[in-house]
Amino acid sequence: MTDTTPDLVPAPATPAQNSLLVADARTRRRNAAETRFRAYGIIAIGLAIAALVWLLSTIIADGAGAFRQTYATIPVTLDAAVVDPKGNRDPEEMKKVLTLSYDKLLITGMQDYLAQEGIQIAGLSDQDVKGFLSDQAKANLRDAVLADPALVGEVVTVPALTSSRIDGYFKGRVTAEQAARDSKTSPEQLQLADALHANGALETRFNSDFITNADASETRPEAAGLGVAILGSAYMMLIVLVLALPIGVAASIYLEEFAPKNRLTDLIEVNIANLAAVPSIVYGILGLAAFINFMGLPRSAPIVGGLVLTLMTLPTIIIATRAALKAVPPSIRDAALGVGASRMQTVFHHVLPLAMPGILTGTIIGLAHALGETAPLLLIGMVAFVQDYPDAPPAGLMDPTSALPVQIYNWTRRADPAFFERAAGAIIVLLVFLLIMNLAAIWLRRRFERRW
Amino acid sequence: MNVMANLERKLAQDDIKISAREVQVFYGEKHAIKDVNVDILDKTVTAFIGPSGCGKSTFLRCINRMNDTIDAARVEGKIVLDGEDIYDKRVDPVQLRAKVGMVFQKPNPFPKSIYDNVSYGPRIHGLARSRSELDEIVEKSLRGAALWNEVKDRLHEAGTGLSGGQQQRLCIARAVATQPEVLLMDEPCSALDPIATSQVEELIDQLRQDFSVVIVTHSMQQAARVSQKTAFFHLGNLVEYGATDDIFTNPQDPRTESYISGRIG
Repeated sequence: MTDTTPDLVPAPATPAQNSLLVADARTRRRNAAETRFRAYGIIAIGLAIAALVWLLSTIIADGAGAFRQTYATIPVTLDAAVVDPKGNRDPEEMKKVLTLSYDKLLITGMQDYLAQEGIQIAGLSDQDVKGFLSDQAKANLRDAVLADPALVGEVVTVPALTSSRIDGYFKGRVTAEQAARDSKTSPEQLQLADALHANGALETRFNSDFITNADASETRPEAAGLGVAILGSAYMMLIVLVLALPIGVAASIYLEEFAPKNRLTDLIEVNIANLAAVPSIVYGILGLAAFINFMGLPRSAPIVGGLVLTLMTLPTIIIATRAALKAVPPSIRDAALGVGASRMQTVFHHVLPLAMPGILTGTIIGLAHALGETAPLLLIGMVAFVQDYPDAPPAGLMDPTSALPVQIYNWTRRADPAFFERAAGAIIVLLVFLLIMNLAAIWLRRRFERRW
Repeated sequence: MNVMANLERKLAQDDIKISAREVQVFYGEKHAIKDVNVDILDKTVTAFIGPSGCGKSTFLRCINRMNDTIDAARVEGKIVLDGEDIYDKRVDPVQLRAKVGMVFQKPNPFPKSIYDNVSYGPRIHGLARSRSELDEIVEKSLRGAALWNEVKDRLHEAGTGLSGGQQQRLCIARAVATQPEVLLMDEPCSALDPIATSQVEELIDQLRQDFSVVIVTHSMQQAARVSQKTAFFHLGNLVEYGATDDIFTNPQDPRTESYISGRIG
């Protein structure tokens, strides 16, 4: 015998009725149902991811331009006779010179530069040269001179903001055909832009002003920034954190650990759950009535926005905190009570530390929700156009500011397409803040969990 | 365990530590404990046995007022500890629980270090004036729970990282650390394997020298092994209470007899 393996019982040629080798009809149906269910799941996740990718890619495609801006670097002679007519270099005196005079200096500088470089464009009108730079450019130049009077009489090369059309031309938003129909620009202006660009006098570079500047008027989207809105949102988040976290956690601990379980606490519980579902604009009306009309707090102020958002966030924080407290095993409470800890010691020494990751996650998600909230802020006047930075807290909490989501809303309502780009850019900034908050939530969760 | 040694010790054991009179417990409408009268002796292990749901754990939890933490529970009657009614209005249950320690069915160490687990009780009751005194209490308690040699090199590691039997002994050390006079144990071995169980049983026998120990158990063998007195509960009634040897060899009540011989329960 060469084959040493013992013969197994051979499988029958036709499997018996109850063979395990052949799936019966019922099993086949079950397996098919399972395969279908998995396919639905994968399709659902695929759709969700596709929607997210599409959303992010359109926002980034539309908004990336807001972080870049086109500047013209053209030598400008700061004629002392214009800038400082009294000749004493006193900034107080120089403030009396209006921005209009600086506009003339810029136009003269442009024309001199064109003549000097031999750039000639057929049909280029004086109006085209005047409209080439932003209205903000002359204001910036004036600010620079007032900040440093020694510049008077010198030839300076200050990067000057170009108009939003010229900027849009370099970002692919404006074409020559559109310019022909556009009253705010002309094909000649675009040719001038090309010529200056070829000369190196025009460059598109990173625009930190978008983050730090205040909002600008409808006619100068190129100068609009998010500075005031970011500060306003930050102040409001500060107020929400300082008020909602302690109040929410204290309320949850009382309800969960101390309050007797009776009709009244049931009623409170139902009402908290309902408050979490109240539309945010209702909180805006409440804030308007209570904080502005009744308490007389100033409109557009972060203090009012913060209070309204606190009211809105409280139910979220209370629900998350109560869930986190409920998730702490009762055996830990028994253990602490069993060694003679009081109820408060039990909660603060044992239950609360264990519930901390859940509480923090709930709080940060509540904060993130509040950061993106727009509707209640519209009602308390935060939709106003604010160009002045607020003071540092606490005094600044009473100053008028804007807020990130309201700024986005505001910009999308403006006519100039350049504002659309700004709005998308602001959305990117808002998303980055939300991302940072979510990462903080994950980090805190990990950190607290590691301490068992 | 030597029967003669048991008898000898009994002579010095006749001081009553806890006496319960006409104790009733209600969970909402349910009458869970009916008319229980029992005298628990000092320096003795008293076992409560009986089928599931007979109220033995409920009665145990009356002794340190753990039932207070359950909203629906209501206790009537009198439980006297060293001549003082523990259900008197003036009694603070927190103070009572420092005097009557408890070990639970499932090992439930705090999710903190071994040291912090044991030192927590002494710390909140202010039993140690200095760090070194606290260290001493921790060592004494861990030695008392026969755990010291296993954990002395890792006192600052998580108590939850120990094995089940070690965790339960840690819980015993934690209960012992507050220097109680009575130690209540609610099925302390039900989650443990046989080796860990025998370690804990040995420990209970040692603890008897310092405390009055009351243990609830499902296992009649365990009751026979560790206790000097046994109480048999059935449907909320205390059916029979007496010396362990008598209960197991010569039960007076037919219900006790059927339970012990395995016909009910």
